[in-house]
Amino acid sequence: MASKDVKRGLACHWPRFLLIIPFLLVAWVPFYNRLEPTLGDIPFFYWYQLAAILLGAGVAITVYLLEEWITPTTEQGSTDPDSGIDASGTPGDIL
Amino acid sequence: MTFNVTAASVFVALFGLVTWLGFVAARWRKADLNQLHEWGLGGRRFGTVVTWFLLGGDLYTAYTFIAVPALVYGAGAMGFFAVPYTILIYPILFLIFPRLWKIAHECGHVTAADYVRDRFDSRYLALAVALTGIVATMPYIALQLVGMEVVIGALGFPAGGWTGHLPLIIAFIVLAAFTYTSGLRAPALIAVVKDMLIFVTIFAAIVIIPAKLGGYGAIFASVPPEKLTLTPPSGDSFGSYSAYITLALGSALALFLYPHSMTGILSASSGKVIRRNAAALSAYSFVLGLIALLGYMAIAAGVDKNSLYAEGFAQHGANFAVPALFLDSFSSWFVGVAFAAIAIGALVPAAIMSIACANLFTRNLYKEFWKPDCTDAEEARMAKIVSLVVKIGAVVFILLIPKAYAIQLQLLGGIWIIQLLPPIVLGLFTRAFNAQALLVGWAAGTAIGTYMAAAQGFVSSVYPLEIFGVTAPGYAALYSVLVNFLVAAALSPLFDRLAWRGAAP
Repeated sequence: MASKDVKRGLACHWPRFLLIIPFLLVAWVPFYNRLEPTLGDIPFFYWYQLAAILLGAGVAITVYLLEEWITPTTEQGSTDPDSGIDASGTPGDIL
Repeated sequence: MTFNVTAASVFVALFGLVTWLGFVAARWRKADLNQLHEWGLGGRRFGTVVTWFLLGGDLYTAYTFIAVPALVYGAGAMGFFAVPYTILIYPILFLIFPRLWKIAHECGHVTAADYVRDRFDSRYLALAVALTGIVATMPYIALQLVGMEVVIGALGFPAGGWTGHLPLIIAFIVLAAFTYTSGLRAPALIAVVKDMLIFVTIFAAIVIIPAKLGGYGAIFASVPPEKLTLTPPSGDSFGSYSAYITLALGSALALFLYPHSMTGILSASSGKVIRRNAAALSAYSFVLGLIALLGYMAIAAGVDKNSLYAEGFAQHGANFAVPALFLDSFSSWFVGVAFAAIAIGALVPAAIMSIACANLFTRNLYKEFWKPDCTDAEEARMAKIVSLVVKIGAVVFILLIPKAYAIQLQLLGGIWIIQLLPPIVLGLFTRAFNAQALLVGWAAGTAIGTYMAAAQGFVSSVYPLEIFGVTAPGYAALYSVLVNFLVAAALSPLFDRLAWRGAAP
């Protein structure tokens, strides 16, 4: 049961691994703790992190669209990626 | 400070508009407001657009608009941690909360504690979740008043004495009245006005102010160079680097555990609405990044050296930086618009926070422990009354107790609220955790987090953790929730085995 859930989860939720990208963009502070190169007089530290917001939004949109595109083809009927929760509200053991 | 007639008139007019909207909201998507899920969750019918305005208006509070640039103004680069923080909240929103929404929708949960109560069949774990939520939110409501007080003061209303507090008290009576009658529909509708005013103000600010100050190059050149980047660590310490990223990560993990965020999420009409917003809300993050830069613009404009604003700075400290910058840069009528944006920005989250506290109190204390058989109408009436009590409490708190305590309690609130991460989030994805073990973990995390803040004299939440001879200064919330998680994970199999033995003959 558990392994079947995991397989189905991977089949329609693999794009969610992309959500690690926004975290990686900001995780290593020494990388962006610098002034050069500037962009239109704005130091790197500032424009890089502002740009990371836009990239993060881009990743989230991509994941959303990929899931919308995958789900109907791998699963007939159900289009809800969060199915697999039984009636009592207890989730399956997917960790 | 002189009374600014034009700005005050625009301010009062906009305030009047949202007051009217707040009362009209009761008739918007008309339903029986004597049901708790209608009054306190807007009937779970908010679509993508309304949820975008509501969550944006809810999460980016007046205190954020005042305090983030104030921190950048005072501390420089360290204050910019708000930006990676807002980058990290959306993956978390995307991955975790549609699942919680679905369960809450199916089982009729109004609060996170409702969910924990059902999921672990433990009323005491639910009680811990409810009490933590209420205690962490109360000082947050009080801080919204600080944001409002700063702009009201900057308009030049007579300060000091009983009359000095009158505008604030009137604003809160208005807030309390429309929250009582309209529930979550009021802040949802007002959030549309608030967010548009904020966007207009910020885009005007980033165009007009740099043009006056000689461009972004001149602005950054006027900031002392040591403030522009984080001080690189030296010796056996990760210094500001570990502080910066743990503050961002810890704050991001804590954000959606706050009752007011939960209320915003549960009022959405589907999990899809939440996932769409995980991308669309980034627009607010970008605006927050720009707002943070206002701190540097205030330095470049030299507002602290201007004798006109000396009184404001003496009264409100660095929190006066942005109001002073607006007074310095905008014409009077637009100052009115900008200040109204901040004050209305306080109303929306304050309303949602008081509704969230009222939901928690009614559902998880009153109904659970006092009156399990109360009717739906009684339940909704109780929640409305509690929402009034909560707001009166916040006003009294801010008028009678030194403001520094509200700020310290808010700092502790972040440390306390993150302790709900294991019971709420782990429960969504695995059955491996035991209710008693989670309760012990919660107590351990809360105690250690509070100790870490106390060790810093409650003025900083960055704790210099020493591990293997290296110092890693980091956000106490993140360190303490790790302890919480490890305790819960270690004790769960043990307690499960004990329960199994106890059940066997």
